[in-house]
Amino acid sequence: MHVKGRAIATWEWFVESAIRLAGILAIIFVLLIFAFLLRNALPIFRQVPVGNLLGGRFWRPTSEPAQFGMLPLLLGSLYVTLGALLIAVPLGLSCAVFASEVAPARLREVLKPLIELLAAIPSVVYGFLGLLLLGPWLANVLNLPVGQFAALGSLLLALMALPMIVSIAEDAIRAVPVALRHNSLALGATRWQTIIKVVVPAARSGIIAASLLGVGRAIGETMTVLMVTGNAAVIPQGLVGFFRPVRTMTATIAAEMGESAYQSSHYYALFAIGLMLFIITFVTNTLADVLVRRAGGVKT
Amino acid sequence: MVILLATDEAKNIIRPEGEIRLETIDLDMFYDDFQAVKQISIAIPSRRITALIGPSGCGKSSFLRCLNRMNDVIEGTRVQGKVLLDGEDIYSPDTDVVQLRRRVGMVFQTPNPFPMSIYDNIAYGPRLHGVRDRTQLDEIVEKSLRSAAIWDEVKDKLHQSATDLSGGQQQRLCIARVLAVEPEIVLMDEPCSALDPTATFRIEELMTELMENYTIIIVTHNMYQASRVSQYTGFFLMGELIEYDHTVRIFENPQDQRTDDYVRGRFG
Amino acid sequence: MKLLNPQQTEKLAFAVLWLAAALAVLPILAIIAVMVYRGGSGLSGSLLFRVEAGLLPAIVGTLLLVGLTALFAAPLGIAAAIYLREYARNGPLVRLIRLAVVNLAGVPSVVYGLFGLALFVTLLHFGRSLLAGACTLSLLVLPLIISTSEEALRQVPRGLREASLALGATKWQTVRRVVLPNALPGIITGLILSISRAAGETAPILFTAAFFSLTHPFPKSVFDPILVLPYQLFVMATEVPNVPSATKWATALVLVLVVLGLNLLAIILRTRLRGLQRW
Repeated sequence: MHVKGRAIATWEWFVESAIRLAGILAIIFVLLIFAFLLRNALPIFRQVPVGNLLGGRFWRPTSEPAQFGMLPLLLGSLYVTLGALLIAVPLGLSCAVFASEVAPARLREVLKPLIELLAAIPSVVYGFLGLLLLGPWLANVLNLPVGQFAALGSLLLALMALPMIVSIAEDAIRAVPVALRHNSLALGATRWQTIIKVVVPAARSGIIAASLLGVGRAIGETMTVLMVTGNAAVIPQGLVGFFRPVRTMTATIAAEMGESAYQSSHYYALFAIGLMLFIITFVTNTLADVLVRRAGGVKT
Repeated sequence: MVILLATDEAKNIIRPEGEIRLETIDLDMFYDDFQAVKQISIAIPSRRITALIGPSGCGKSSFLRCLNRMNDVIEGTRVQGKVLLDGEDIYSPDTDVVQLRRRVGMVFQTPNPFPMSIYDNIAYGPRLHGVRDRTQLDEIVEKSLRSAAIWDEVKDKLHQSATDLSGGQQQRLCIARVLAVEPEIVLMDEPCSALDPTATFRIEELMTELMENYTIIIVTHNMYQASRVSQYTGFFLMGELIEYDHTVRIFENPQDQRTDDYVRGRFG
Repeated sequence: MKLLNPQQTEKLAFAVLWLAAALAVLPILAIIAVMVYRGGSGLSGSLLFRVEAGLLPAIVGTLLLVGLTALFAAPLGIAAAIYLREYARNGPLVRLIRLAVVNLAGVPSVVYGLFGLALFVTLLHFGRSLLAGACTLSLLVLPLIISTSEEALRQVPRGLREASLALGATKWQTVRRVVLPNALPGIITGLILSISRAAGETAPILFTAAFFSLTHPFPKSVFDPILVLPYQLFVMATEVPNVPSATKWATALVLVLVVLGLNLLAIILRTRLRGLQRW
């Protein structure tokens, strides 16, 4: 019996170690991704000064001499992401408030799954719809020179990010204690005054977290922007820039990695863009995670 | 008003006659910084029913869970002092916790049958401990269900889901499940608190039957239950064992004013 | 003087909220309607099942890819979830793992593509292949599997664990015989949702697995590149000029149907398995 007990204990130890290893692998994968991006990006930092990489105004990887200025790509991503946020955050927040505070229960049960569906549609399908249908139509209606432009990408990204923003914002709103609401109502405030003065401010950090995750999601999205934003590596100018073609960081990688020669400067430069994307999303996601936990949206 | 000073606590804590195989010495238990159990020294008589009573939050359940180390499962718990089972400290590093829990079974507050068939619920423990033979399992299942006085009600539906039984039946099933691993001691943590009076009565009857073969410790907030079923009763207050004596004495002639107040319903 | 009194403000605000909700729901309805309308007309049995210039190879390729992805990611993801929920005690390691999971979920899909290219395609010499693509995608779905499995484990009542432990079961016996069977419906649902996510991804397989060809439609081994629906749609929409419009729309519809079909399967399985569990 004692021998059997020891055999069981050994097996238990073995299983627990294997399971713990699976957990630790998640950390290892993040480190591996970072290491491989860094390793393949480093050569370009030796060839081109960092200032010229980040601040350079021209991305001409195949001309002679090649130029690897990422500023147009950075700004392109910024335009598309900013535009997406401007649409998705107000809309998502309104939907979250509507779903948790205003909508009848029946309607909420229909509304939520319908909005969730937006996240299930593959990004390449959004790109397809934008390219063939929405882009040409909008160009016609708004009298634009081309049917592929920054704001079109923003609009589609906003739809893709909407379910996540609604769901996190709704969790944050639900986490606001009922007593707070009752206090406000008891003081003679209307439901709307209670929502806007008490509930939304109390859910603030969750709402900011949702926006941050929206940034991470939008800046990293690839196929849709590749297909609908026109891919012109020019620095967007002012408000009108939203309605002109731009080129994002993700689209550049997707479009050019297939053609770049293995271990050429171009290849390394594309990994450098990947490294930047990784760092940007790492920062926004970590920040958002801290905020979500603070908002009490995640139970541990 | 007289303020009672705990001058000689020990005189209110007796040592029961007869065989004693389980006792604690100066047992403390903490949840992080909060001390839930304070310096408990108690000897549990074999083949008797010992009831632990006291207002909620008095530490009686926490104390009970020390006896089969179920508190190990909860993060942040810490134990000091000794729990001696047959003279050996169950908190010593070379205790096999799994083996300990076979010897000291536990019935919980809410019935918690596994979502499996009645048969599989009872066979769960024996199977864990290596019983594979079908006829042997059949025997264990029948014997355990008979001991728990539920055989007649379920013998025709052994392979139906245990979760379809009534609450009272579920709790007797859980008792049968504990008996199937042949423990020496059965801990019951408010086993009737989720049951109606009829089901409660049946469990109490069952406990009295089981007393012939098992040592039973029951935590209850129901003083009538304690006085009906137990031979010894310990009164807990704020993590301390105030008084421990024959049940009759605790309820009819308690030595400590606080015990008197509690059993007469003067506070709680 | 105020323009509106509080009651009127409330009415106006609520009207705006109703409008916002309608605006959020409108696109998905429009997308479904237009997909069915435009794609349905081009969708025919011959297009679906034809090997040459048909969709069959891409459908098969997609299923192979996500199947292999699930094979790699499921054991790892479920094990990690079991660690986080059943074994780990709160501490720096768990905080670090959770942070890693959150960040894995946030890594842009095209960056997974770069990583897969550098590690699986190049360093490990898998080449542009089914295997390299599945490895890359399994990293992408890992955080999703971990979080859905964890949620499923969370749903298992604590009393069941305690009852098992109190009967002298070890931790692993408790997990394997009581916790996992109870969490299985939720875990499987999460797994299928993750697969449906993988089925629609394009960027990670752009440089690791996908190709476009009419002559070598089916992979002969895991080291062959494959045709997959999302990549097929991408190439048809952007690079091949003379594909009939009906074929493009039909391809898009099939992709959406595969993805939504998997979602639906997850929902049905969840209800079914829940029912089964009650015997």
